[in-house]
Amino acid sequence: MNAVYTSIKTDAAIGISPFSLQGGFNFDHYSNVLGGSSGFNFPGYLLNSVQLSLGTVILVMVIAVPAGYSIVRLGFGGRWVLQLITSLRLVPAMFFAVPFFLIFSALGIYDTVVGLILADTFMQLPLALLIICGTLRDIPMEVEEAAAIDGAGTYRSLVFIVLPLLASGLVAVGIIVFVFAWSDYLMAVILSASGAVPVTVGAAFFVTSAGIQWGNLAAVTVVSVIAPLAFAVFAQRYLVRGLSAGAIK
Amino acid sequence: MSALTTTRPEIGAAAKSPRSTRRQRSLHARGSARWVLGIPLILFLALLVAYPIGNGVISSLQNHTLLNPNPTWTGFSNYVRILTDSNFWDALSFTVVYTVLVTSIELVLGFLLALVFDRPFPGRRFLLSALILPIMIAPALMGIMFRLLLSQNIGVIPALLQALGINISLLSASTVIPLLVVLDVVQWTSFTFLLFHAALQGVPAELEEAAQLDRASRARFVFSILIPLLAPTIFITGFLRAIDAFRAFDTINVLTAGGPGTTTTTLSIYVYKILSSGDFGLASAASVVIAIIVLPIIPFVIRRITDGATS
Repeated sequence: MNAVYTSIKTDAAIGISPFSLQGGFNFDHYSNVLGGSSGFNFPGYLLNSVQLSLGTVILVMVIAVPAGYSIVRLGFGGRWVLQLITSLRLVPAMFFAVPFFLIFSALGIYDTVVGLILADTFMQLPLALLIICGTLRDIPMEVEEAAAIDGAGTYRSLVFIVLPLLASGLVAVGIIVFVFAWSDYLMAVILSASGAVPVTVGAAFFVTSAGIQWGNLAAVTVVSVIAPLAFAVFAQRYLVRGLSAGAIK
Repeated sequence: MSALTTTRPEIGAAAKSPRSTRRQRSLHARGSARWVLGIPLILFLALLVAYPIGNGVISSLQNHTLLNPNPTWTGFSNYVRILTDSNFWDALSFTVVYTVLVTSIELVLGFLLALVFDRPFPGRRFLLSALILPIMIAPALMGIMFRLLLSQNIGVIPALLQALGINISLLSASTVIPLLVVLDVVQWTSFTFLLFHAALQGVPAELEEAAQLDRASRARFVFSILIPLLAPTIFITGFLRAIDAFRAFDTINVLTAGGPGTTTTTLSIYVYKILSSGDFGLASAASVVIAIIVLPIIPFVIRRITDGATS
């Protein structure tokens, strides 16, 4: 709320007192940061955030959907695969961020969106896989057995029978992964410097050595928070179910 | 929990059933599919888990720095440097205090809120939605918002305090820790609430009716029946929060960068500072030490989390 309020005031009013409204309200700070005249490439940060969040959602799905099916229905790896992956969520992320930094630097994907997508996929996969496995267990086996009797192979049955039944669960997973990837700060601050900076890290750039651009900082924060929040409000039904199912069984 | 335990017979048991021939044939056909579908996950585990762990452990045993790209083996000297660094122990004790404080406050508040939301009242649905929003805000951005709110120059809160004649900086050494605790509570009580709320909905209404018939007070009901009943949920929620609080980084780094001095340096910020200074070997060693601290409690939690999805 305070951020919204600060962001629409003039710099002069911000300078006088938190309650001053000198100069009235305007949207200059928004046009500054979105138009790129703030000295920082905020539109670029926003684009990076969108790209890395979408990329993470896609990569997580590509890994977790077939793996979840294989674990739940085909007994892939027994219990330990899921336990191993889940435990990744519990290890301090810093433990992986340091080697990621070294490896990505060596591979030349440091400070690229691709590198951040890989790191964020690592961060989000455990919860995604857990939710997908939980949802798969709730789908009755009989449908697939019927499909098998009708001659559908494993892959056919996965694509045409299981995926449609799994759809609403996947929407929940997609939204959760998107929002959390958008929120990531730790990986971004370590694995990006300028080219791939997302909003969570970029916003802090507005605290410059020449002082803090309060109005712009507030505008940046508002824009960065609203995107995933709007998403979350629309998709709330899925979110609550996904979050509570994923965290606890 | 019960919703997720399906009636599907175990594959091994099914093989002995009268339908065994068909089952076995379909199992055989699935033998390759199991691995094919698992390929992306195996690649992920190899490239983003196993390789980084190996790389991290190796570099923790070398004098790898920004200025020394061709490191040599130095044995455990990085570990010795970490364990003899007073900043490490300060960071560890701050992190433990912070973790214990936020976890206990969030458990109590989340539980109380869940009790309130267990009964219908006007606006319940709307408030329920609103309570979930803090989880959706990036912690780093939350930190920036509070930076605006608390700033001596433009913040509303210092201005209000001044109007009341109180002239303190909330980010000074004496007030910063309670402040960070409050911030974490504001953001993550939603999480404990959500899990408790879900668990309470699974408690049959008959229990409370029976307690009422026995003239047990509401408080008695909560302490003697609900809390023991929900003990597993409380336990796992507490662990999940504690593990997340233990690696706290985003909000604190944005708001205080571990300062003033090293007062609010968590273990994660401690590692980050070493990494930023360019001493990669030392940073690796510190992160290995932190992982080792957390490792022993993971199996406890894991079994409970994955039970529903694997059994």
